[in-house]
Amino acid sequence: MDHVHDVELSARPLGIGVWGLLMRSRILAIGIMALVLALVLAGCGQEPTKIRVTVGMWPEPYLREDVAMFEEWKRLFEADYPQYEIVGVPYTYSPDTFFPMAQSGQTPTVFQTWFTEPQKLIDNGFVRDITAQLQQLGWYDKMDPVMREMLSRDGKVYGVPRDGYGLGLLINLQIFEEVGLVDDWNGDGILDIHGPDGSPRYPTTFQELAETARYISETMRDQFEREVAGLIILSANNTGGWQFSNIAWNFGARLQVQDADGRWVANLNAPEAVEALEWIKELRWEAGALPASTSLTYSDWYSYIGTGRAAMAFVGSDAIALPVTNFGMDRDLLAFVPMPAGPRGHRYALFGGTPFMFAANATDEQVMGALRFLEYMGRSPETSPVALSSLRRGMKTAIDKGMPILPEIRPWVNEEYRAAAREIEAQYANVYMPNFQDFYDLLPVMRRPEEPHYTQEMYEILDAVIQQVLADPNANPAALLTSANNTFQTHYLSKLR
Amino acid sequence: MSFIRRNLAGWLVMLPGLVLLVFFVWLPLLSNVSLSFYQLQGYTKQSFVGLDNYAQVLRDPQFQRAFLNTGLYVFWSIVVGFPVPIALALLLSEVIHLRTFFRTSLYLPNVVPGLAAALLWKFLYDPDPGGMLNGLLGAVGLPPQPWLSSPTWVIPLIVVALTWKAAGATTLIYLATIQSIDATYYEAARMDGTNVWQRVRYITLPSLAPTVRMLLVLQIISVFQVLYEPLVMTGGGPNNASLSLLQLIYRYVFVRGDVASGAALGVIVAVALLVLTACYWWATKRAGHHG
Repeated sequence: MDHVHDVELSARPLGIGVWGLLMRSRILAIGIMALVLALVLAGCGQEPTKIRVTVGMWPEPYLREDVAMFEEWKRLFEADYPQYEIVGVPYTYSPDTFFPMAQSGQTPTVFQTWFTEPQKLIDNGFVRDITAQLQQLGWYDKMDPVMREMLSRDGKVYGVPRDGYGLGLLINLQIFEEVGLVDDWNGDGILDIHGPDGSPRYPTTFQELAETARYISETMRDQFEREVAGLIILSANNTGGWQFSNIAWNFGARLQVQDADGRWVANLNAPEAVEALEWIKELRWEAGALPASTSLTYSDWYSYIGTGRAAMAFVGSDAIALPVTNFGMDRDLLAFVPMPAGPRGHRYALFGGTPFMFAANATDEQVMGALRFLEYMGRSPETSPVALSSLRRGMKTAIDKGMPILPEIRPWVNEEYRAAAREIEAQYANVYMPNFQDFYDLLPVMRRPEEPHYTQEMYEILDAVIQQVLADPNANPAALLTSANNTFQTHYLSKLR
Repeated sequence: MSFIRRNLAGWLVMLPGLVLLVFFVWLPLLSNVSLSFYQLQGYTKQSFVGLDNYAQVLRDPQFQRAFLNTGLYVFWSIVVGFPVPIALALLLSEVIHLRTFFRTSLYLPNVVPGLAAALLWKFLYDPDPGGMLNGLLGAVGLPPQPWLSSPTWVIPLIVVALTWKAAGATTLIYLATIQSIDATYYEAARMDGTNVWQRVRYITLPSLAPTVRMLLVLQIISVFQVLYEPLVMTGGGPNNASLSLLQLIYRYVFVRGDVASGAALGVIVAVALLVLTACYWWATKRAGHHG
């Protein structure tokens, strides 16, 4: 406070010296403090303290039907559990908003994220372990073990799967009909993906897939003077690597393997993986059956399919509705079939799911409340009347919005839940199931979880390789994959303990 | 503290701005520098690791690629983008009719939101035969071009889009400078019977030189930070051929959840920009002595 004794007689703008200003601000500060304290005290003891659970899956206000549905669930839940208060916070996960939010402890108690994120969020300490609560509710053993593994680290579970998805081949039946591959054989007004003899009219091997894609692109060019990609292969934002790993598996490759000491080593340049990349290269440069863009992402495929610029795409079963909801495509013009088999008979479907996760700073009671609220949303293994009526309500809301209703890949394996879900689905399904059934029939034997370590980083590295093959007719798949393999091994896999 | 007392009113006027500046610029900047020396979980410091994060970034093949690419962005922006606003300003200063119309038209792309402009150009550059530019080429019987799918051309093409968006504002600055040149020079030159080119060469351009130098540095600094055009138009592809340094920071932090590497790369970029700026000041100072 030396400056107070500084007796320099300078001008005093505003007629006050520093000391006066300080004094005033000090009084002001004390005043503000007192006011805040008074407000805090007034806030205490006014209402009985309820345990507040914030739900991030709440729909945005403009989705009126959905909001009404959630409000109803909230009402029922709070009537049964009066100690809880449910607060809806519409939060759409995005990595650039989530990090700062989590850092400042503002994450909703429970929120929905993408299937790519769980391990990253666990790494960064943004989500909490809910194993104890799951066991207390008896849900732990009812959870699909493959999905539980995806949401776990060191034996602790960090999330609840909303639903599962498997990769499959989505087909635009209108284009198939235009080039004469399918027809309405049984005369019910809907095109059939199976012939009159019941045999599939869709490609069941990668060789057939390449031939079909080439045939479609050529026929469209020659007869209709239209540019239609027979198949669309994604290549950016990690989707390229994600789809490629499934293609490579079906050619017989494993992209990460364990050596004799149990250490994980990169295997991106396995001969089968090189063969898979050659297959893509041929499809692009010799067959001319792929789009020319080298930066297609997951938001591109449904515009290609929905606007008739592509005949087929590798798609997650949870996203089939996108061409319908975004481009008004007729749902009866879609068929969804299993991933084709590779040259040596390997046939896998990459399998994943959409998770709900829980804020790192949520208390045990909050987690418990959030989990119980999932039951009221019809997103739990419970088959109580309220859970089943929520399942129905969800279906009905989706139908009112004109969405195609397909069997969901349920994340719970207890039979009473499965039976109830099946029954409800049969009641509400509004697609022509024969054009979808093969996928669901084969998924249990085809499904395979993603490669285990640094998966997203591996996808990023593979993206670049696929882009190069799509951009350069002289690209060398073996050399590209070998260099990618070295990068992945040196910078990522070698860091594993 | 006496200097505060002497100008109290001035400080009071500046206070809100200063508080905001410290809160939104200086604190984040300093905390970023400090984060870059730690191992992090989320944004929480775990342990001091010195220069480890920096070493890791410098070893990353993607960093080397992005550094080279950013240099290419700057190079192409000087070759393609830098002369455009100067030429436009010279043309405009000679235009007599419809000057306001031309000025407004040139400035319009600046009003377009950056993301929309990037998407618009992505649409123009669609590599499919039915794409906008390829459709035009097809109409005159030329084969479709790969545009942004060509590793060689992707950066210059993005620079064209950047130039389209930004040239108008720069043109106006040049134009204002040209119009503030003392008219007596031109009158004297006319007396000596010079033509337009000589006037431009001996009067306009030398008078523009300080502005040109300043805007050159500003352009390098801004192009060095190119982010959303490659993010939106190419995702950094094909095969990282258009990945920029700032996009790599985005990848580290938001795609991989690796905040420490992002912070370290942020500091590296800032240091590179400081060095560039210092070089420039040093060069202009020396040049200024016989200006």
